[in-house]
Amino acid sequence: MRRLNLRSWKTAAVLIVAVAGLTVAATTSLAASKAGVVKVAIMTDCKLAFGFAYEPDIGGAQAAFAQYAHGKAVNKKKPSAGMTGITAGGKDIKIVGYGCGNDTVPLAVTETKRLMEQLGADVMVGPLSGDEAVSVANYAKAHPTKTFIIGTAGSQDPTMQIAPKNMFRYHGDGAQWNAGIGEIAYKKLKWRKAAIIEDDYSFGWTSAAGMIADFCAVGGNITKRVFPPLNTTDYAPFVRQLPPPNQVDGYFSAVGGTGTSAMLKAYEQSYGKLDPKKWIGNLFFSFLGADKTVAPKVVGSYIGGFGTGPGLKTAQAKAYERKVAAIYPGLNGGNFADGFVYNYYNAAWALVQGLQKSGGALGAKLQAAMPRTLRAGYQVSNGGLVKLDSRRQAIQDQYELQLVKNADGSVGPTVVAYVPGVDQSFGGLFSPSSPPPGRTQPACKKQKTPWQGKIKVVKNGVITKQILK
Amino acid sequence: MNPRAWTTKQQLERGMAAVTIVIAALAPTFLNANWTNNILTETFLFGLAASSLIFLSAYGGMVSLAQTALAGISGIILGNIVTQGGEGGVSKGLHLGWDPTLGLVLAILGTTAIGLIFGMVAARSAGIYFLMITLTFSVITTYFLGQVTNISGFSGISSIYRFTPSWIGDLVGHPNRLYYIAFGVAIFAYLLIRYIVRTPFGITLQGVRDEPVRMASLGYNVPLHRTLAFGFAAFLASLAGILYAWWSGTVAPGNVDLPETINLLVMAVIGGLVRIEGAWVGAFAFIVMRDYVRDFNVPGLSFGGTLFGGSFNTIIGIIFLAIVLVSPDGLMGLWGRLFQSGPLSRSKQRSAPQAADPVG
Amino acid sequence: MSALAARIPTREQLGSYLTLRKAPLLVVLALVVFAFSYVLFIAVPGTGAYSWRATTFGSAVHDPGSFIRITLDSVTFAAALFIVSSGFALIFGLMRVVNMAHGSFYLLGGYIAYEIQQTLTGQGFSLQGTEVNTWEWLIPLVVAAPCIAVVGLVTQQSFLRWNQGQELRQALITIAISVIIADQIIAHFPRAASSGAQRFGGSAVDLTWPGWTDRFVNLHVAGVSYSLAKLVMLGIGLAVGIGLWLWLYRTKTGMIIRAGVDDQKMTAALGVNIQRAFAIAFAVGSALAALGAVVWASQSNISSGQDGQWLLNSLVVVIVGGMGSIFGAAAGAILYAFVADFSAAYLPSAGPNCCGSYSIIFTFVLIALVLAFRPQGLFGRPG
Repeated sequence: MRRLNLRSWKTAAVLIVAVAGLTVAATTSLAASKAGVVKVAIMTDCKLAFGFAYEPDIGGAQAAFAQYAHGKAVNKKKPSAGMTGITAGGKDIKIVGYGCGNDTVPLAVTETKRLMEQLGADVMVGPLSGDEAVSVANYAKAHPTKTFIIGTAGSQDPTMQIAPKNMFRYHGDGAQWNAGIGEIAYKKLKWRKAAIIEDDYSFGWTSAAGMIADFCAVGGNITKRVFPPLNTTDYAPFVRQLPPPNQVDGYFSAVGGTGTSAMLKAYEQSYGKLDPKKWIGNLFFSFLGADKTVAPKVVGSYIGGFGTGPGLKTAQAKAYERKVAAIYPGLNGGNFADGFVYNYYNAAWALVQGLQKSGGALGAKLQAAMPRTLRAGYQVSNGGLVKLDSRRQAIQDQYELQLVKNADGSVGPTVVAYVPGVDQSFGGLFSPSSPPPGRTQPACKKQKTPWQGKIKVVKNGVITKQILK
Repeated sequence: MNPRAWTTKQQLERGMAAVTIVIAALAPTFLNANWTNNILTETFLFGLAASSLIFLSAYGGMVSLAQTALAGISGIILGNIVTQGGEGGVSKGLHLGWDPTLGLVLAILGTTAIGLIFGMVAARSAGIYFLMITLTFSVITTYFLGQVTNISGFSGISSIYRFTPSWIGDLVGHPNRLYYIAFGVAIFAYLLIRYIVRTPFGITLQGVRDEPVRMASLGYNVPLHRTLAFGFAAFLASLAGILYAWWSGTVAPGNVDLPETINLLVMAVIGGLVRIEGAWVGAFAFIVMRDYVRDFNVPGLSFGGTLFGGSFNTIIGIIFLAIVLVSPDGLMGLWGRLFQSGPLSRSKQRSAPQAADPVG
Repeated sequence: MSALAARIPTREQLGSYLTLRKAPLLVVLALVVFAFSYVLFIAVPGTGAYSWRATTFGSAVHDPGSFIRITLDSVTFAAALFIVSSGFALIFGLMRVVNMAHGSFYLLGGYIAYEIQQTLTGQGFSLQGTEVNTWEWLIPLVVAAPCIAVVGLVTQQSFLRWNQGQELRQALITIAISVIIADQIIAHFPRAASSGAQRFGGSAVDLTWPGWTDRFVNLHVAGVSYSLAKLVMLGIGLAVGIGLWLWLYRTKTGMIIRAGVDDQKMTAALGVNIQRAFAIAFAVGSALAALGAVVWASQSNISSGQDGQWLLNSLVVVIVGGMGSIFGAAAGAILYAFVADFSAAYLPSAGPNCCGSYSIIFTFVLIALVLAFRPQGLFGRPG
């Protein structure tokens, strides 16, 4: 039998102190809601594919709190430093924490629980990405007293199949963002037969669904769908499965965020130089830093939008950009027409309006008071108001873009088409009872979408009366 | 065992075990909800998964990286069987909507069967080769779940916690219930492991761990014992997977990918790969660290990384490194060393398990 | 114990085990033969109808051009895999250290090279091939590789050296280091981008091959032209392989290293400074990760998260090939690349949801099969 010696007692003492400290931490009621304070969490990503959207997302949301709810930014260069003095509906709003996801489901669940249960948030602004939103929507369904306003996630399910009553989305889903791009391919580029390469998960499918549905609706035909798995190292064998350029009129791409340039390089080494007239991408051709890494390879390509109109010269759009610039001038490199900033901004603004109307009440009262229309920066139709449908999903104007070379040599998107009032159903193609977008969904069929033949040409940031031909 | 033969260490450990059990049993009455519903519930269920890893390592001499995958498989089987489709249901998976109790049984049996198959293939290798082949299993599982969209897809199966057996009832509205279930299952698993290692099978297994060649020449079927041990560990992992599915609601390929696999190994190592208790100690330390480290802004440790959520992974990495360097047997090893007489010299430590030896 | 002792199999039982063992081997051989003949003769070009014979290209007989292209794709991908994993294999073979930080070294090397190329070309944008000359590709490589060699050396000297022989502990130490490096990469890279949008956060960036590689070479076989950049990558892979061979088999250091692989204690007992050999091998192995990163980042791209992928790639190559042998790494890389590329291209369209998208599963199941029959890998010696 061994005796305890002096050294071990010292260690034991340290252990006891540590245990005592933990007990104190555990029993202190962190989670209990203090009366008069609304606790808000901002959920975004800080790692992997969308890690660099952390500051733009937080900045977007906090710019709205500063603009409409008296918030003061702690650091104008670094939104995540925090914001103080936010009040709305007679209550103080406290931002209890920023979620740090990595675009995977398990971390989204863990972070959501941390924000809502450990830090006791009443409202979440977020999350960022498609699969995260699916898991958060399921969480929302199980926690009806908490309120969720999606940040900028593009999957369809959260407001279609799942559609919890306490979840709101004031921007389009991945399919809506691409409304009109098929018509551009058909009419401006004269595509009739095209192939599509898409990421093999819910955002890739949803984004591709918008392209497929829109292109087939006007009479185009998708001859081949190729699905590289996420985290593919070598894209060559997948790109080889695309029909060679002489067999199709063009290719749609819904690959990204990190794989886009790898996929395009693999294409170049299989079929030669990229022809911008033969490629149409989704937002991953231009946003999320792709304007530096992808866009220069495909200058001149048309691309799907992000619900924003970069360079749009409407008074409402300019006012929005001015407001963000006043709070965080350098946010996202000064590019505020990016869904990461814009969608989080609108989500937070809608929350402020909801709290003002509910008098700071939470739960069902706040959910009833959340605005059903929102005067969002780039909205033009419906009197400049984004409208929510019965499943609390936005009916929003979309802008389809083209990549152009700027005077300083950089490449960026410019608006070429305005697609008014895009709803989630694509003229009845998608509904809660229809299968969600997948490898075989939607099927390619000619049909009528509400915006067909109503797409207007945009020149130099001005929406013309001219219909896209 | 005669109480008088107990050493101070054993007395202390029994006392601490009793105190821990009493505190855990009463926890919901005085701890705040987050601690019971999340931190401790997670500790129990991740500890359970880690215990299956430690069981294989401590008594079978096999460090397996397939335990996370097996837990995930169990959750996915459960999710596919119990969830219902249609409007208001779940959009992903087979959503068979069968009886949840049947789902539980099938998840456990299915995972154990898959574990036995994995074990059969892996049992012939040992040491670092075993580590690698089990890693290959876990990668296959990740890709299988990600690519076979009929049963999972990248988004996984959601809302599993809404479909629990009627004798368990609503877990979302009554998180304490899940807490006690996880607590009970953890204790059950712990006692079961303690029992198993004392049976003839368990003793032979330890013989196989230490002297595989000699045991084989004595006529014991070495691969068979390894396979059965792997099957038993898969059974433990399946329980962890079910608890996780009930806690999180969602099981996805992301639950079984390389970072998660390594996280479980980290938990087991922090606890110590030599004693079963280490599983829960390690899980607790890991989860507390994960949730609270980021609140501390250690001056000089931010490395300019605070831009992205505080770079708390760096701090976790440093703590993990320190534990591995100071005590290869983790926190349980540190505890054991408190009672060793003589100076603490590195050479006296038992190196982390035999599994590391390139035998076989 | 006695109860179990009664279970000793009799001689007859043992005999039946042996014949049973053979059956699965025959099945696997039959499957391999089938796979070869499927690719060479059986598959037919897809016409849109679902069939177990319908593939994108049809068999080698139907479409020799595509067959040759995919073969070349596989060989060139194998070259990249080999460059990265040969470093891993070298370290494992000599020191039995499973360097779990290999992927992080890869990523760090790639980002360092990216920063240097951006600085040299003064761009801050994605570059076109014509904007990069040979030096602007070589200098990033020549700087990044030694940087990572030093990182590896510091890791080995300060953490691993005094834990020799404790394989698991060393693996755990390198896991901790990889967690730290991966997190710091997110905090500090990429730096070169001029706008704030995608600075830091480990976003995806790519290096660019020198301009002269940006063309196709006519091979004069079945009308195939093939990307010169990829052939250059193949050349680099071959050069690394030959260089390693010459180093290990034709120099004194190499002989010491090989002796160390065979018997560490004996070699040390002969008065050879094996620690020096260890340090050199670790530095070279780490530098190979950086070299591989420069090559693959030029071919494809790099982003945070790929550290895990490349660790996995290296593990798989080394496991399949047999640990610790350069030939094993080459064989593993070739097998992995061929299975991955051919299964993606030649799995049939037997239904709307089958089977091309399952290629990655197919790849790993094949690897598991190799391991089931040869746990030590193709070229490994039984331990």
